[in-house]
Amino acid sequence: MSGGPAVRVSMESQCERQVQEVSLDGLETYVPPLSMSQNLAKLAQRIDFDQSSDSEQESREPWSALKFQPSLWPWDSVRNNLRSALTEMCVLHDVLSVLKDKKYMALDPVSQDPSTPQVFQLISKKKSLATAAQLLLKGAEKLTKSLAENQEQRRQRDFNSELLRLRSQWKLRKVGHKILGDLSYRSAGSLFPHHGTFEVIKNTDIDLDKKVPDNYCPLNVQIPSDLEGSAYIKVSIQKQSADIGDLGTVSLFRRQPKAKPGSQMWHLKLEAAQNVLLCKEIFAQLSREAVQIKSQIPHIVVKNQIISQPFPGLQLSISLCHSTGEKKIQRASPDKSKPDDHLYVLEHNLHQLIREFHKQTLSSVVMPHPASSPFGHKRLRLAGPMAYDKAEISSLQQSEGLLEKIIKQAKHIFLRSRSIQLQLNIGVEQIRVVHRDGRVITLSHQEQELQDFLLSQMSQHQVHAVQQLAKVMGWHVLSFSNHVGLGPIESIGNASAITVASPSGEHAISVRNGPESGCKVLVQFPRSQAKELLKSDVLQEGRWTHLRGPYREVHWGRMEGRNFVYKMELLMAALTPCP
Amino acid sequence: MGVTCVCQVPVAEGKSVQQTVDMLHKKLEQLGAIKQGNFWVDCETYHATGNATGQPSKLLYVMHNSETPLSSMALFEGGPGLTADANFDVLMVKLKSHFQNAKGHKVESRGTRYRYCDFLVKIGTVAMSSSARGISVEVEYCACVIPGDCWNLIKEFMQSFLGSSTPELPAVFTNKAEGLYTPVDCMDTMSQYLELFGKVRKQQVLPGSGVR
Repeated sequence: MSGGPAVRVSMESQCERQVQEVSLDGLETYVPPLSMSQNLAKLAQRIDFDQSSDSEQESREPWSALKFQPSLWPWDSVRNNLRSALTEMCVLHDVLSVLKDKKYMALDPVSQDPSTPQVFQLISKKKSLATAAQLLLKGAEKLTKSLAENQEQRRQRDFNSELLRLRSQWKLRKVGHKILGDLSYRSAGSLFPHHGTFEVIKNTDIDLDKKVPDNYCPLNVQIPSDLEGSAYIKVSIQKQSADIGDLGTVSLFRRQPKAKPGSQMWHLKLEAAQNVLLCKEIFAQLSREAVQIKSQIPHIVVKNQIISQPFPGLQLSISLCHSTGEKKIQRASPDKSKPDDHLYVLEHNLHQLIREFHKQTLSSVVMPHPASSPFGHKRLRLAGPMAYDKAEISSLQQSEGLLEKIIKQAKHIFLRSRSIQLQLNIGVEQIRVVHRDGRVITLSHQEQELQDFLLSQMSQHQVHAVQQLAKVMGWHVLSFSNHVGLGPIESIGNASAITVASPSGEHAISVRNGPESGCKVLVQFPRSQAKELLKSDVLQEGRWTHLRGPYREVHWGRMEGRNFVYKMELLMAALTPCP
Repeated sequence: MGVTCVCQVPVAEGKSVQQTVDMLHKKLEQLGAIKQGNFWVDCETYHATGNATGQPSKLLYVMHNSETPLSSMALFEGGPGLTADANFDVLMVKLKSHFQNAKGHKVESRGTRYRYCDFLVKIGTVAMSSSARGISVEVEYCACVIPGDCWNLIKEFMQSFLGSSTPELPAVFTNKAEGLYTPVDCMDTMSQYLELFGKVRKQQVLPGSGVR
C-alpha cells in the first residue's frame, strides 16, 4: 500500500439485463432492472415463515443480516478480494526484491533423481507392449485356425457346393428334410405316368484321417429301383420269322456308356436312369399302339419285344433291352451270331420321334391351354361349340402313331437295301463306286464320267433283267455276254447281249443293249413260220422245218409296256403258245 | 354337315318295333346302302327352379348326338339353343340349384347308320327308360347346306324307302326368319329330334313293346 503510483483499476459491470425487444433499426430495448424495493420484495418471497421457531430464529438472523446487508456497498466483496490480492502481490514483490540481492535470502534448487522415472517408464512401456502383443497373437491364431479349416473343407469337397453343381444340371426341390429331384421328361412335355423322383443323400462314410480317394463325392443319389442299370431299344429286321419259342428272349447286350472325364458319378447314374425311363416310355407307347391299332397282319407283343411283319417273309422286331448292372449277361437267345442286326438308325429315330411327340404337347399350338380343355390341338377346343362331326375331328387329330412311322421307315430301309446295286462314296477329290458284286471303281471329279458309268450300268442291268426274267418265265439262256466284241463300238463302256430260247425251243430272243446304241431285240422264228422259205436240196425231210430259222427285228419303241421289263415279259408271253 | 330331316315312322300293323326296324333295314340294303356303324341321340330334361309365380317352369333340354361327339346342345322348346363343349354336362351338375334334372324323362334314340352315296340314313329306336316307344328316321343329305335347294331330292329319296310315311318340310326350316335359303345348323337337327321326342313322350306306351 505504499509507494508506486496508484494503479487505476477500471470496472465496468456486465450488462446483465435481458433484451426485451430488438427494434427494426437494431436498437435494443432492455428489460428495466428491478428497483431496490422490487428486489427486496423478490427476496422476501423466498422466505418460508412456516418453519419452527429456532429455525425461525436462525432464519431471522440471516434475514436480519440480509436486511442489514442492502445498506452495504455492493462492491464490498470485490474490494476486499482485490485488496487481499494486492497484499499478496506486494509480499511476493518484496520477497523477490530481497532475493535479488542474494544477501539475506537465497534460492536452492530441489535435487532430482534421474534414474527412477526411466525405470518406471520402461516397465510401463513393457506392460503396454505385452498387452498389444497378446492381442495380435490371439488374432493370428484365429486366422491360422480358420485357414486350416478352409483347406480341410476344400479337400473334403463340401456337400453344399456339390449340391449346387447338381442343382445347376438337374431339377431339385426340398420336401421336409429330404432333397428330392425329378429326372422324368414331364417338364419337357411327356405324358408318361412314371414319377421319376430321385433322392439326394449325404455321403457320410468318409474317414477324415485317411487320405480322401480321388473319386470321392460328398453326395449320393438314390434312383428308383426300376430305373437302375442301362437300357436301349433294339430294332432289327430278320428275313425268316423266328420260332414261337424264341419270342421274348432277346439277348441283352451290355453297352457301356462312355464316361466323360470330369463328370460326376451321380451325373452318370442320373443320365443312365433317364435313358432307361425314355426307353420304357418308347416301348410303352409302341406296345400300346401295337395292341390298339388294327392292321392287316396283327402285331405280336411278347414281354419286351414287339414283332410285326411289314412285308411277307420279313420280320421287324423292336425290343427293349434293359440290363441292370449287377446281373451277369444272359446269352440265352440263338441269334447271338448276328450282332450287327441292330439298326441303330431306327433306334435313334425312335428317340427323336418320342421327343417330337413331347415337343408337340408343349408347342404353341397346344400350350397355353385353358384349364377346362384337354390336351390336343387348339382347334379341337372349338369342336364342341362349333359342333364338328367325326370327319372334321379326325382331320385335326394326329393320324399316325409311333409304331406306324417306324414300320414305314423299316420298310424303306429294307427296300433300299434290296434294290441298291451300287454304292457311291463321294470323297473330296474322287468318287468311288462300289458295285454289288465287289468291284470298286474310282472316278474323277468330271461329272461326265459318272454319267457315262451310270449309263453303262443301266444297259448292263437291262440285259441282266432279261436273264432274270428268262429264269422266271422258264426260258433257257443260250448265251450271255457282258462285253460283246461284235457290232458297232460304243464310245461309253461296252454293249452286252443275251440270247434266250423259249421252253419249247421254237422261238428265241436276242437282245443287244449298249449305252449309246440303245436296245436291239431280234426274234428267231421256226423255219416253218418264215415267209421266205428257201427250198433247199440239202434239207429234204419235214422235221427240219421245226428248227429256228431267220431273225426278225422287233420295233422296240412301238412295243406295248411301261418299261423294258414289261415289254420283254409281254414279248416272251406272246411267243409262248398256250398248250 | 348337311340338311337333315327327322321323322317318325309308325310301327307297322301287327308287328313290333324291332320288326319294323328290320323291315326298314332290309329296304335300305336292297336300295344299296352300306351299313356304317351305330348312332345315338339322347335328350335330358331339366326344370328351372326358383320360379316365383305359379307359372309352369321352363324346361331346358340338354341333348347329345353321336355325329358331334364332342358337343352338347342345350335348348328350350321353340326357344334359343346353345352349342357347347362336352363339359357343359358338368356345368349343369354345378347349376343343380337352378336346374333340376328330371331323371325319368330321359329319351334316347339308338340304331344303325347307313350310307348311300351322299345320303346318311339313321334308323333308330326311340326308347324312354328302356322301353321302346317309337321309331325315328333321320335322313341327311351331306352335299348341301341349304334346305330350299335340296328338299325335293330328299323327299324323293325318302319316298323310295319310307313310302307313305314321308314327312312334309320340317317346320324348323319354314319358321326361320330368313326363310328356306339360309344354311342349316346342328341346332335344326336337334330341334327336330326334340319335337319327335316330345311327340313320343305324349304317346301312350305301345302294346307289346315292354322291356327289350
